[in-house]
Amino acid sequence: MADKTQLKTRIESVMEDPHLGAVARIYADAFLNAIPANQMGEALEEFRSFVEDILDKQADFSRLLLSGTVSRDVKLTLIDRVLTGRASELFTNFLRVLARHDRLDLLPLILAQSGMEYEKRSGRRRVQVISAQPLSEGALEKIRERLAAQLPFQPVLEPAVDPDILGGLRIRVGDTVYDGSLRARLKQLTARVRERSLHEIQSGRNRFSSSEGN
Amino acid sequence: MRFKADEIASVLQKEIEDFRGQVETSEVGRVLEVGDGIARVYGLAGAMAGEMVEFPSGVRGQVFNLEENSVGVIILGDYLKIAEGDEVKSTGQLLSVPVGPNVIGRVVDPLGNPLDGKGPILATETRPLETIAPGIAGRQPVKQPLQTGIKAVDAMTPIGRGQRELIIGDRKTGKTAVCIDTIINQKGQDVICVYVACGQRSASVAGVVEALRAHGAMDYTVVVSAPSSEPAPLQYIAPYAGAAMAEYFMYKGQHTLVVYDDLSKQAIAYRQLSLLMRRPPGREAFPGDVFYCHSRLLERSAKLSDELGGGSMTALPVIETLQGDVSAYIPTNVISITDGQIYLEPDLFFAGVRPAINVGISVSRVGGNAQTKAMKNKMVAGGLRLDLAAFRELEAFAQLGTELDKETQGRLDRGYRMVELLKQPQFAPMHVADQVISIFAGTQGYFDLVPVNQVAQAEQELVAFMREQKAEVRNKLIETKELSGPLEQQLRAALEDFKKQFSARKK
Repeated sequence: MADKTQLKTRIESVMEDPHLGAVARIYADAFLNAIPANQMGEALEEFRSFVEDILDKQADFSRLLLSGTVSRDVKLTLIDRVLTGRASELFTNFLRVLARHDRLDLLPLILAQSGMEYEKRSGRRRVQVISAQPLSEGALEKIRERLAAQLPFQPVLEPAVDPDILGGLRIRVGDTVYDGSLRARLKQLTARVRERSLHEIQSGRNRFSSSEGN
Repeated sequence: MRFKADEIASVLQKEIEDFRGQVETSEVGRVLEVGDGIARVYGLAGAMAGEMVEFPSGVRGQVFNLEENSVGVIILGDYLKIAEGDEVKSTGQLLSVPVGPNVIGRVVDPLGNPLDGKGPILATETRPLETIAPGIAGRQPVKQPLQTGIKAVDAMTPIGRGQRELIIGDRKTGKTAVCIDTIINQKGQDVICVYVACGQRSASVAGVVEALRAHGAMDYTVVVSAPSSEPAPLQYIAPYAGAAMAEYFMYKGQHTLVVYDDLSKQAIAYRQLSLLMRRPPGREAFPGDVFYCHSRLLERSAKLSDELGGGSMTALPVIETLQGDVSAYIPTNVISITDGQIYLEPDLFFAGVRPAINVGISVSRVGGNAQTKAMKNKMVAGGLRLDLAAFRELEAFAQLGTELDKETQGRLDRGYRMVELLKQPQFAPMHVADQVISIFAGTQGYFDLVPVNQVAQAEQELVAFMREQKAEVRNKLIETKELSGPLEQQLRAALEDFKKQFSARKK
């Protein structure tokens, strides 16, 4: 079982295992399905607060909870003792289910997946907007409006800066990328020019060889 | 020649001025891990099996495995430049190669990039690597011969246009030589040839290209080369690329010949990919669909119906055996797919019988219909297989040292001469009429008085004699393709003349 401290020492370029993500998505779905629709925001806030305010700040507690060496029963009593009365019944039950299935280490992933799923259910989706230079609030708002008019959902912008794209914008929705960056256009132009010049050279060559009767 | 630099520069300038970039829409994923020629990609949720994808370095890949959370991609190029986290773009296209007349005479890699330093290939069309083979209604029986120019093959294991004839044997038994001779013999026959070198040494591929060029065969041949230094994915797709190039001409109504040299190496490359992709291994660690890998390739060879233009694609797959073991997995698979096999034996090869074809177990299941009537004649190749089999038996018996009666001795002597007659040097394919004349002379006993070690020379002289002095008989044979009664009489008379001339000269 992956230790949380170990997870944090992984170098940033190493991607998360998508299999764990898939498992986390199932728990996130189940969690959201269990909550009445009007209390979703509240429940998620509670979840976030548990991960950010307790697990992240109380290193000993999180180590105890996420460690593989501590038995299931100990974890269950720990959850009961710490959370009963302080957290909602549903969230405590959710933690118990996770503990029973030895999946407590997935908590941060489940939180992230729940957040995304919640946004999706409320008609919003993350849209990554990559520009060469940081965009102003006004520009972002304009982009948001344009996207909202074009896309079938409310975009939640995630601005990012990548000087490599030189200029223009690169917009990513899920797995789909709309690339209007300068770099992509230059690449298109390079291909076009190369193709064209090869064509010219070859036709010149053909002209030459036929006139010589070769 | 000189290019007009200004002219080209102005064309390019106009191109740049007119350029309006478009927003590219594509689906992307990220590389999770890279292995020997493969990558696992996260994302690409809409990827299709066999779809082409592009890595940031410009290297292309093909979707191979679709899994629950990731996509397995085979990398067709340098996989060392790909790192974890790289963005992979889907293209929505199937992997295709350039096809058409501009490809002829070129040496290309399995993606259609030129390897011969003769500049870019300006193909007007491309064709997907994998296409479905023509169906039953789209085909007609094989009935037109594809002359290999090799006496032993054309006489006893004839190959028809649209047939798949396996060439199987140990290493260094002359498998490639048979294929190259066949390609060389297609000169002037209006057959487009494709030679696919898969997993070969680069030096041998260069040798083959040189031999083809020296004999003027590159004018109608394409060489697709994926030598053993190329990554496994390229070796795996090479035969399909060759098939696609030949198919183009087949559907245009032309005749084509494709040599897959060799499919055992392709199977090994496919095994490597499958194991890296964690597909379950089966017998000899090959994946379960290695049979389908070959059957769908060879099934694309066909003689098309007249409605489809009547084109054909003949396939000569090559399989290398280890220690003559034809019952290994891949050899049995390919034997069962093809319409016959030419079996080459090291023992015969080292005994000087070249091409080292084992007549007994080499067969052609459909080619007999494609043989010319003259060749099929009972006095020419019709009874040759049985005669040679009887001779082998007799030869084994004679080794016991028993005294033989005159008739048996005579049959034995003729057998020795026939074996001698079927020998043929490399790069010396023979016209089918010459083959008929020389085999007729052998089976009818016109060489019986020639010492065994002079048979080859006598045959050469006979061919020259028939061309120069009895051209009318030879021309009639070419014209009618049949050994009718009167023509047989003329041929016999000519052979008697030759016999006299030859023995007179020897004295």
